[in-house]
Amino acid sequence: MSQGLDRYHRQMLLPGFGEDGQARLGHAKALLVGCGALGSIIADSLCRAGVGCLVIADRDVVELTNLQRQVLFDERDAAEATPKAEAARRKLSAINSQVRVDAVVDDVNHTNIERLADGCGVIVDGTDNFETRYLINDVAVKHGVPYVYGGAVGTVGMCYTILPHTPGGDAPWERIGRATPDLRDLFDQPPPPGSTPTCDTAGVLGPAVGVVAHLQAAEAIKVLLGAFEAVNPKMVHVDLWANTIRQFDVAAAYGAGDGVCSKQRRFDYLNGARGSGVTSLCGRNAVQITRPDRPAGPIDFDRIADRLRAHGDVRTSRFMLRANLTDGGEPYELTLFTDGRAIVKGTDEPATARSIYARYVGA
Amino acid sequence: MIYLDNAATSFPKAPSVAETVAGFLASAAANPGRSAHRMAVETERRIDDVRLRLTRLIGGDDPRRMIFTLNGTDALNIAIKGALAAEPDGAHVVATVVEHNSVARPLRALADAGRVCVTWVDCDEQGHVDPADIAAAMTDATRLVVMIHASNVTGAIQDAAAVGRVVRAHGALFCLDAAQTIGLLPIDVDAMNVDLLAFPAHKALLGPPGVGGLWVGPRCDPVMRPWREGGTGGDSSSPAQPVEWPHRLEAGTANTAGIIGLGAALKRPIEGRLAHERELRRMLMDRLEGDGRFAVVGPRDSGRCVGVVSLNVAGSDPHDVAAILDDSFDIAVRAGLHCAPGVHRRLGTFPAGTVRASFGPFNTEADVDRLAHALDQIA
Repeated sequence: MSQGLDRYHRQMLLPGFGEDGQARLGHAKALLVGCGALGSIIADSLCRAGVGCLVIADRDVVELTNLQRQVLFDERDAAEATPKAEAARRKLSAINSQVRVDAVVDDVNHTNIERLADGCGVIVDGTDNFETRYLINDVAVKHGVPYVYGGAVGTVGMCYTILPHTPGGDAPWERIGRATPDLRDLFDQPPPPGSTPTCDTAGVLGPAVGVVAHLQAAEAIKVLLGAFEAVNPKMVHVDLWANTIRQFDVAAAYGAGDGVCSKQRRFDYLNGARGSGVTSLCGRNAVQITRPDRPAGPIDFDRIADRLRAHGDVRTSRFMLRANLTDGGEPYELTLFTDGRAIVKGTDEPATARSIYARYVGA
Repeated sequence: MIYLDNAATSFPKAPSVAETVAGFLASAAANPGRSAHRMAVETERRIDDVRLRLTRLIGGDDPRRMIFTLNGTDALNIAIKGALAAEPDGAHVVATVVEHNSVARPLRALADAGRVCVTWVDCDEQGHVDPADIAAAMTDATRLVVMIHASNVTGAIQDAAAVGRVVRAHGALFCLDAAQTIGLLPIDVDAMNVDLLAFPAHKALLGPPGVGGLWVGPRCDPVMRPWREGGTGGDSSSPAQPVEWPHRLEAGTANTAGIIGLGAALKRPIEGRLAHERELRRMLMDRLEGDGRFAVVGPRDSGRCVGVVSLNVAGSDPHDVAAILDDSFDIAVRAGLHCAPGVHRRLGTFPAGTVRASFGPFNTEADVDRLAHALDQIA
């Protein structure tokens, strides 16, 4: 056995893995977007498995309420408010020093994602919001990079691997007929702001995240090994409270949809046209977040207010919802307007404001 | 969309501006003064025509004294830093608390560098500065007085002619920031004893962004230094920046497309614009005054104002009010400090600032009505 591969003995025993497979992993690079609950488990798995280079991007710092499920972090990280990407890098380098970990403490957006994804054999989803997921989807389809989608909230979670259709139709997974529909084939638009629950408002069961994250990690390993025949073409849905595991065949979505990304090759999120805007409000320690489009229906202030009441004082009027939240010991005032825009007071950092929006409003 | 943010930039622009800029870029965008071919000569001719019309607009006689700049801020930086560059450390400058950051920050930077000391003259409760206070602030060391002609926050128009008289009597240079008044108020640099007049093209002149102007009077000739040197087209053999106007302050390729767009905007007469804005301001004031839910900051008398109304809704953050106006009523206004923190400190609206509605020539009484109605709903 080659030097340095001893530690991978148990996984190299697996059929189709072997030293060759391990060497392939060792030369592979993966981008992990978001290093919270899903991301820290995925990072831990991929690092232990010996993926050569992990790029881990996350804009947040570790908070005490993360420790219930975000396995890479500890109380010291929370006390020191260490950026998650950096805390992950430190832990992972102690777990497996053979793996190179690039920690990126930044908002992943249309200006930087192509650079981050450069040379990556897979992009794995550890995000908490749909805007970033649609952005990842654009990059994945544009550059023909597999994207492992995942999400968990409450006691449910989903995992789905996008092996994108490419213009030449000759990606390794296409040659064996395994391309899958992408996010915009499935749902042309992300859900409107505030219409989906978030972990920060609806709660989340740690093991539900674990199940999804390990499904994602397994898919990512298959992708990096080139074992596309083993990649699950179906969307997996688990509910650990209702005790259900379901799989949805979504293959028809590619033929049925407009194929904005996959057929028209239009990448609205990546070219910046569909992203939310952020404006620091002069001298106010506040950031305004605006949506590119007015949502189809009015935002349901009452529903969002119900979810936010556990976090602080919430008031609504015809025109706006105002919530005074405490997050990581810091007070924030979140004001949401009927078109989905919000003013986040308590920070002048766009990344922090985006994070507050993603976690408390959602989508 | 009802656009009430004309103090930030006017919208829409004069009808022919977009067409003229597009036509120029498509057919004739040569670099003026650099080459002798016909297209360059024609561009230069068109630029010089705009220079002449701007000069006439402000009562100047020699168009070579009209410098094209990038915007109002650029013009003010060139004026302030250029006029003080030759002074020894410790020169005294007088400005007012109502200045925009485009004056306040250059002066602060010069003060921090030990180059100047600045006296900030107070205003009254409605935002007006007393020319006698300017006179009182001046010392033997005073070299420059800088004042905004009308506040972008309150709309208050200062008595620039009276200030010009006291500054001229003292002997210092007088720099007037006409960002909110050019294209609205008659300006006569001779009659008002102005030595440096700085302004942008994109506000009441209804021109495009990216162009400003600085008129430099003859009293500046001995002291004025460029703070940017470079190519000017003529006299390339000289190692030093030429001292002739406008080349002394005009290094680098100008925004020719923007200047020619401004030229198109200048064909529209300015008569009647101020009266129109004031009438709209009066209408809005009539609806707000006496209603305890609203606090208007600045002059009660619209006759001493440009068409700007700064207000607060009791119990509401100005940014929230602006967001609701945009979101629920499709009305564009600006909220906050409007880059002029001094006047807010003075008038008690710091740090939240105000909601500012600012009118332009294309606004109507119906727009004011819609705004007043929306504010009534929000309050």
